[in-house]
Amino acid sequence: MTFAIGIGLLNLFIVLGLSPLFEGVARKLRAMVHSRIGPPLIQPYYDLLKLLGKEDIQSSSNYLARLAPWVCFTAVATAALFVPLGTGQAPFGAFGDAIVFVYIMALAAAALMLTAAVSENPFASVGVSREMMLQLTVEPVLVVAFVVAAINAHSFGMGDMVTWYRFHGLSISMSIVTIVLFLALQAQVGKLPFDIAEAESEIAGGLFIEQSGPKYALLRWAMMAKQIIFASIFAQVFIPWPKTGNLAWDILIHLAKVLGLVIVIGLIDAVNPRLRIDQAIKYYLTLVFFSLGGIAFAIIGA
Amino acid sequence: MMPLWIFLISLALLAVGAGITAITYKLRNICSWIAFATVSTSSIGIIYTAVEIFVHGPIVTMDPLLRIPGLGASLMISMDALSALFLVIIAVVCVCSTLYSIRYMSHYREESLLRYYPFLLLFALGMIGVVCVSDMLFFFVFWEIMTLTSYILVVYERGKETNLRAGFLYFLMTHVGLVCMFAATFLLYARVGSFSFQALGDAMGMLATQNTGLLHLVLALFFIGFATKAAAIPFGLWLPEAHPVAPSSVSAILSGVMIKLGVYAILRVFVMMLPSSHFWYTWGEIIAIFGVVSLVIGSLAALAQDDSKRLIAFSSIGQTGYILLAVGIGITFLRVSPALATVAFLAALYHLTNDAAFKALLFLNAGATIYRTGTRDLNKMGGLGTLMPITATTGLVACLSVAGIPPFSGFSSKWLIFQSSLIGGIDMPLYLFFGVIALFISVVTLAYALKYMNASFLGKSHSEVNRSLITEVPVTMKIPQIILAVICFGLGVLPIMVLKLLYPAFKCLLPAGYLPDFTSLFGTGLAGVNLSFGGSISGMWNPLWLLIGTGFCFCLGYCVFKFASAGGSRVRVAETWYGGREHAPGEVQYASSSFYMAFKQYFALRVKGINFEGLYPKSVPLPRMTMPQPLRAVLDIDRWLYYPFAAGFLKLSRWFSRVHVGIPQIYILWVIIGVIVAIIVLFALPAG
Repeated sequence: MTFAIGIGLLNLFIVLGLSPLFEGVARKLRAMVHSRIGPPLIQPYYDLLKLLGKEDIQSSSNYLARLAPWVCFTAVATAALFVPLGTGQAPFGAFGDAIVFVYIMALAAAALMLTAAVSENPFASVGVSREMMLQLTVEPVLVVAFVVAAINAHSFGMGDMVTWYRFHGLSISMSIVTIVLFLALQAQVGKLPFDIAEAESEIAGGLFIEQSGPKYALLRWAMMAKQIIFASIFAQVFIPWPKTGNLAWDILIHLAKVLGLVIVIGLIDAVNPRLRIDQAIKYYLTLVFFSLGGIAFAIIGA
Repeated sequence: MMPLWIFLISLALLAVGAGITAITYKLRNICSWIAFATVSTSSIGIIYTAVEIFVHGPIVTMDPLLRIPGLGASLMISMDALSALFLVIIAVVCVCSTLYSIRYMSHYREESLLRYYPFLLLFALGMIGVVCVSDMLFFFVFWEIMTLTSYILVVYERGKETNLRAGFLYFLMTHVGLVCMFAATFLLYARVGSFSFQALGDAMGMLATQNTGLLHLVLALFFIGFATKAAAIPFGLWLPEAHPVAPSSVSAILSGVMIKLGVYAILRVFVMMLPSSHFWYTWGEIIAIFGVVSLVIGSLAALAQDDSKRLIAFSSIGQTGYILLAVGIGITFLRVSPALATVAFLAALYHLTNDAAFKALLFLNAGATIYRTGTRDLNKMGGLGTLMPITATTGLVACLSVAGIPPFSGFSSKWLIFQSSLIGGIDMPLYLFFGVIALFISVVTLAYALKYMNASFLGKSHSEVNRSLITEVPVTMKIPQIILAVICFGLGVLPIMVLKLLYPAFKCLLPAGYLPDFTSLFGTGLAGVNLSFGGSISGMWNPLWLLIGTGFCFCLGYCVFKFASAGGSRVRVAETWYGGREHAPGEVQYASSSFYMAFKQYFALRVKGINFEGLYPKSVPLPRMTMPQPLRAVLDIDRWLYYPFAAGFLKLSRWFSRVHVGIPQIYILWVIIGVIVAIIVLFALPAG
């Protein structure tokens, strides 16, 4: 029990405490690609602090406008408890499996969309519509990846999937979904070329247009945390090696893998233009079809 | 025998209530309250009966209440735990709907309540009757009471032609279904000469060994009949037409309860009556396929709708699809893996219960917006959330439930459906495919739920919405919504408790000892579900711990924020920022039809001149009442009786009027001729 609580706090620390740092790395990287010096690594922390002190400008008196950002943030934080981060076992692994995780993330997405929709801004509504379309096409990729892992592991528990994959070694079905999931990662964390729902230059921030001050800080933080969560799932469930058996080393290795992924995501983000929503949909529907191949291999046990 | 009497008194009360409301219909208010009082009193009796069944086992009448010896049919009240489950659903939804009707029906000032309350009460009576009999003939009698009364309620607003045609489609399709069911029953009846479920089950057993083709036919006919009621695609074409035109309180019962009785009947026939055989395997697959088709087409079509009630109606088809998918999986695995089958059936029953709650809530919710804005067009609403906060909140709860967002009710049941289809898929890859589709469609569900929410309650109001006139709905319309919203939340938080209640409801369909023990499937937890299919645990879900985790994370975040922002930042209320442009109000509304445009295009096609939106034809050509020529001629009494008679009379009168020439001498001549004729006649007659 104390172990679970310890891992839980550790997970929360990694996902909430360290995520701005990873974001700082990505921003530094982006600046380097642009031949700029860029902000210091801990700039995202400063940003959050600064936003907290800013005026909270409300354009809607609806209680949802106050509540939904908190739901979004809390849901992302809670999702962190259902994900194994380096330890191979999620702290809340006994209370919810991969499907539960997917739906907690859906709650976070729904809360984000409600936050935006409750404002009267049409840009926000466009953002909602686009975000939902991305969810519609991206989520099946994640789901299929989990289904393949579940067929192999005969369990939906993420811990069981990690255990099985480590024991079994590389398999065709898992490799297929790993590649597909990697191609979908960019949209899951809302980065270029798939930041279509924000699209500062077209719809002025879309989902976030009416957000300011502390609520914007909450949503920003949630977005950064989401990036770490998805990177962690990829690094833990779909590339569960190497495992040393030493808890501290495992966690450090995991963080290094996540950092590597964040760098890759940041690089792709820095060098790509934004796609249109219909292009993104086409891209993801193609990915879904490929990932179904993973299921076929999983059924025959490869 | 006490509960039985209470049950019968409750039924009698409903019938008496129907009579009283039929007399007092002109006093609108009193009539409404009488109806509510009747329904709520009898609901208490019915729920008491249901509880009694759950605690002390089935209630069966010793002697038939009514016997038709010539046909081998007898009216036996026989209620097991499955009936009890439906009794509870019927009672709760009907009470909510009747309470809601009290004020809602003032929306229909011009229509008489004589066509509403008496039929509403009889409708409830019919539905209760359907689930409490164990004889096919009386099952049909109640089924028909249910269908006819609901037809009258659907066409309540009879002034509009579209309503009548939608109602006619409903009438037609359900009766085609009924004919199929009758045919199936008589094929079995011919073998055993009795209508009792038991005897018909034996007949199926005989056919299973002697004439498999005939049994397939029988099952197909039964399935068509029940699927028509349950509104599975393609048998449920009536539903998207009939639901929007019915009053919202009726739609709530239709969608929340009545279409679920199709599933009830499927369970009775395919699980209880059909003996263990390879038929389970085949028909399980067929039902699952229809389930998947319905859930895909229903949900995608809902995405494309701009009429609030039509959107929810399609959602009903989609959720029925989920239920049928689970039922299909259950029936398939009933023989080879009772453990998996139990999980699938409980998932189906669980989802059915949840769907009853949130679909009824959604219809009442849409009704509330219609009550205030007078339109069903989602493009012409928007921004009602600040004006109708309670309605918006209950709407949000319903939307999150239907989308299966944890910890609301839809999630727990969908989770079980996914688990059973994916685990079942390891043996049958088809179900794996179905499971993935179901997971994908679940996101579509979120999309249309959010669209409904956005278009009616959030965002900018349409310029036609007069915001100064719109206020929260009256309290009698709020309470039913709040009750159902609480149920939606409550059913999701303690899944293990709900499953424990549902387990006997399914268990009673099969011989004792056939199904595995409850704890071996779902674990011994008090709140969470640890799913295992004989062996290791394969899935876990514990909403209580999710809530604890969420609470902890919230507190953590809140503390960090309060600490970091040093007492909080100032709040300022400002105008919405439109990019710095002056605008007319209509310019900045994002219309409901614009939502998900790029995605919807993938499912919009045009085949032979019919536009499909979300894989469903945009407008189904509604049937016109046409009859064969001879029948029409016979029924047309005017033509063969009245018109010839009238024409003859007219001709006669014209001829007679020639006498009227205007010359007095000729009149006198006529009088003299008349007198002579009279005298001759008098002389000719024999004296005495």
